[in-house]
Amino acid sequence: MPPALKAQGITKRFDAVVALSDGALTVERGEIHALLGANGCGKSTLCKIIAGTVLRDGGSVEVDGAPLEPKRPADAEAAGIALFYQELSLVPQLTVAENIFLGHEPRTRAGFIDRRTLEDDAGRLLGPFKVVAGSGLDLHMPVAHLAPDQRQIVEILKVLARRPRLIIFDEATAALDRRQVEFFFRMLRELKAQSIAMIFISHRLDEVFEICDRITVMRNGATVATYPAAETDVNRVVHAMVGAMTEHLHPPQVERPANEQPRLVVDRARGRRLRDVSLTLRPGEILGLGGLQGQGQSALLRGLFGADSLDSGRVNLDGASLRLRKPADAVHHGIAYVSGDRGRDAALHGRSIFENIAAASFIRERRFLVWPSRLAERFRQAAAALNTKYVGLEAPIGSLSGGNQQKIFIARWLATRPAVLLLDDPTKGIDLAAKADFFDLVQHLAAEGTSILFYSSEDAELLGLCNRILVFNGGTIAAELSGSTMTALHLTRAAYGDAA
Amino acid sequence: MARIKTLLAEPLVLASIAILILLAGGELLSPGFARGDQVTRLLTVSAILGIVAAGQSLVVIGGREGIDLSVGVLISLGAFTAGNVMDGVNGAILPAVLAAGGVTFAIGIVNGLGVTLLRIPPLVMTLGMMGVVQGGLVVLSRGAPSGNAAPMLMGFVNQPLLLGFPGILFVWALIAFVMWFLLRRTSFGYAVYAMGSNERAAALTGMPTSLLRTILYGLSGLFAGLTGVCVIGYTGNSFISVGDQYVLPSIIAVVIGGVSLAGGSGNYFGVVLGAIALTLLQSVLTTLQLEFWGRQIIFGAVLLGLMLLYGRQKQLRI
Amino acid sequence: MTGMSTFLRGHRWLVTLLALLVLVVVNAVLQPNLFTGTVLKSNLTVFLPLVLVAIGQTYVVLAGDIDLSVGAIIALVNVVTVTVIAAIGNGVGAVLLGLLAGVLTGMACGLFNGFLVAVMRFQPIVTTFATGIIFSGLALRVLPTAGLPVPTPYWRTYAGSLLGLPVTLWILAATLLLVALLSWRPFLTHLAAVGGSRTGAFQTGLPVARIRIQGYVLAGLFSAFASLCLTGETASGDPLMGRMLALSSISAVVLGGTALAGGSGSALGSVLGALVLGMIGNVIFFAGLPFEYQTLVQGLITLAALAGGVLMAGRQRW
Repeated sequence: MPPALKAQGITKRFDAVVALSDGALTVERGEIHALLGANGCGKSTLCKIIAGTVLRDGGSVEVDGAPLEPKRPADAEAAGIALFYQELSLVPQLTVAENIFLGHEPRTRAGFIDRRTLEDDAGRLLGPFKVVAGSGLDLHMPVAHLAPDQRQIVEILKVLARRPRLIIFDEATAALDRRQVEFFFRMLRELKAQSIAMIFISHRLDEVFEICDRITVMRNGATVATYPAAETDVNRVVHAMVGAMTEHLHPPQVERPANEQPRLVVDRARGRRLRDVSLTLRPGEILGLGGLQGQGQSALLRGLFGADSLDSGRVNLDGASLRLRKPADAVHHGIAYVSGDRGRDAALHGRSIFENIAAASFIRERRFLVWPSRLAERFRQAAAALNTKYVGLEAPIGSLSGGNQQKIFIARWLATRPAVLLLDDPTKGIDLAAKADFFDLVQHLAAEGTSILFYSSEDAELLGLCNRILVFNGGTIAAELSGSTMTALHLTRAAYGDAA
Repeated sequence: MARIKTLLAEPLVLASIAILILLAGGELLSPGFARGDQVTRLLTVSAILGIVAAGQSLVVIGGREGIDLSVGVLISLGAFTAGNVMDGVNGAILPAVLAAGGVTFAIGIVNGLGVTLLRIPPLVMTLGMMGVVQGGLVVLSRGAPSGNAAPMLMGFVNQPLLLGFPGILFVWALIAFVMWFLLRRTSFGYAVYAMGSNERAAALTGMPTSLLRTILYGLSGLFAGLTGVCVIGYTGNSFISVGDQYVLPSIIAVVIGGVSLAGGSGNYFGVVLGAIALTLLQSVLTTLQLEFWGRQIIFGAVLLGLMLLYGRQKQLRI
Repeated sequence: MTGMSTFLRGHRWLVTLLALLVLVVVNAVLQPNLFTGTVLKSNLTVFLPLVLVAIGQTYVVLAGDIDLSVGAIIALVNVVTVTVIAAIGNGVGAVLLGLLAGVLTGMACGLFNGFLVAVMRFQPIVTTFATGIIFSGLALRVLPTAGLPVPTPYWRTYAGSLLGLPVTLWILAATLLLVALLSWRPFLTHLAAVGGSRTGAFQTGLPVARIRIQGYVLAGLFSAFASLCLTGETASGDPLMGRMLALSSISAVVLGGTALAGGSGSALGSVLGALVLGMIGNVIFFAGLPFEYQTLVQGLITLAALAGGVLMAGRQRW
């Protein structure tokens, strides 16, 4: 019998960035197969390619021995593939029942929605979860009103309602508590008995070992190994994920006076994704924020920049209390924020490099009249500090590669001479040479006394650059690494919680 | 070949070529079309369109589907206010201009507040405002034309002032300079482009985007009011729907001038050329004795053609 | 208190219903003979066209789009219908063929809009603004000036009765049945899904472009129905018919609790919204407000309703 899924040699580039160089995955019928890897290793892209939401550049995919060339999600669905979306595919305004059967509504003979059947079927799917779902998970409730775990349950049910033969669960348990997970696993075992194939992605390694038959590990866009779960252990898997990562390249430590006043103090900050985060940042310090994606690192940085409001907690800068209601408040105090999502958060598309650099300086200096020729020299210096390659300040920002664009957005803030630099996964999707320039600059800035909060989804960057690392989990700081504990193993363990 | 292609994609070049072709075509159809005094007359008409298009271009550059459909009624209101304040008296021209500009600026600010504070889509907000101002004009004028232009104002708009050009052309040149200065020599202008290009990114540099956007709608109202003053100077008196004919051309002139409807790009010099090109097109169509319906369809088609060039949205798949 | 606001958010049309009841009471006080058959019938005749366009507009808005061309579609359908009837010879067969031609015209206009917006990915607002101009131009081409009466059977049937009830009431009943049939189809859920989360709908595998086009075709269809009713009322062709109905229909949709951002709302709510707008007109008329104030007050109430509707729908991005 051919395997349920056989994907080989899958490649995919997004502009200059290689997301997948050699993705491969084979799943048998009635198997639960774990797909693991560090952040950005390409596992989500591989899944989206199999599900038809992303088009592959090269490689082959076979389903039950038949080649699959999905042009759109519907094609993959016709082949019996369903993907549980990490970024939920639910429509907030529709009810739970409507979402579960969206596009597959049972119909009466006249072609109308068969509400009775729809609700009966949805109720039957929901039934087992009802006991663990908490209050308010009602078939008639718009999804917008549900709690995150309840939405996740609806998303799971939506996948199951499609009666797929191959299911990809991408972080399907992320928002679920232990009891909900147990229910979910019981369900997976039933599906397995019906010879349904499943791909299971989770950052909770204990779950992986509890439910999966085999484990495939990816690293840097390529598949590196596949193990039967019973014949391996957590340590081996973690090592395969981390690879021959260089252990802790200590940055040149600059001696600072011990009695120096802290630059930034955050005291019990709470927000939408933050629970009681406190930290102290000294002048010239590079403080890393680690952990899995979406554990509150970005929320903290955006909160400190005034872009998202903090519900409570205090922020002190050089001993003075700060009120951060809008980004301008932060900018005027010399706080700068560089986002890794350049296209969305930073790029002034279609505008010149000059304008892209100038944007923040106007606010910082409360400047009204603009004489481009007088500012140009300063901006050139800021760009030069990063080895930015560009033709001239008047060239459009789109003429630069991703890495050089990001250098421009950093130069935007360098030109304001910030006291605190908030880096929100700033190297996402930029090439290695640009990264190296960027790291040199960060160290240089720190040496000059700039305080830096640095969140990266790549552990190696944190280990190589930071003086200390705060590991986030579920919106709060789970561990602090410094000195001898700053190793890839410690960081991965802390990020994956106690299980690893 | 490739260079010619990129050159043609440049709106300024395209508009200039269009102007030359239209001038030549007009001259062929009716000799004397491109004569000096005819060109001056065409420029005067272009100036009126160009001034209202200045405000429209600001709103469009500011992005977030920016558009101001109330400029037509605000021109009428400006003309009505100015006409009644000066009522044929030369000495009252300045108060008339101030009154017309002040009233329309204030209404523009209300548009801006609706768009920013209440988050009403600009099209709906300005369309709704159009109904209100129209109703207001009916009340104020009781349906009858009222107000008169001062002779000096009429002379300023219609008679040669210097070098054979009427005063309004110098005003237009001044406005062009002010627009350039505002957009290219003040942080206000840089912020307008920034938020039109990417509002989120602009806000993340600390720019006060809502305040800026409100001001843009105010300025659009102000320019419409000034256009109203020019209109009453051009025709001598006003009726309550005098401005309606400018709504659509103001948008088309902006788009011809290379201002993307998606916001964040273009400049006023392009719009100046766009206003001239459009006025020429209207003139040529009139020379062709094309009926109103034909002109409407050509206008609509030109707008759709420009959408094809500049106004497409992102695809869903990656 | 929060429970109450959550409830109202889910049933926004209840607020509209309440407003409608209040207006009916006020109207009844001002106009004691409101509840007589003739007055009710004439009110229904006046309200019916807006009710129909508003229903059509709802389907477009639900999908997160907008159609500004519905007014022009009404004019085009009207002139096509009267011209076809006159050309075939004014018999009953000619009337039926004329009605068919009108309906097909409306749907074709909707298809054109939908194609530009969903397939070509043009921005909906400016696109339907531009196609509206083209449709008006075509209407003027088909029938340059108002006139060309429809044959007696057409308007006599429309004004007459069937089984003791006015024909307009039958039309309303048939429309509501059609709305109900549509709302029982999966299509309406898909429309709301596309408007609520375009990426979500795409990832779920819904044919997003086709669904959006269908929304526009429905808007064209209901605009055609509205036009045919207006034609029954005016009994002649008018290339400028329905000019203000685009804004009114959007106002009715917003008043009826449909979010302009798309994703939630109902055609039934829009029916209530249209009735509220109609009743506002009635109350203003019977309140003895001077004639010239009526446009202003209507404009202000419409703007206020738009602002209120957008606020009630929550400050979403659109």
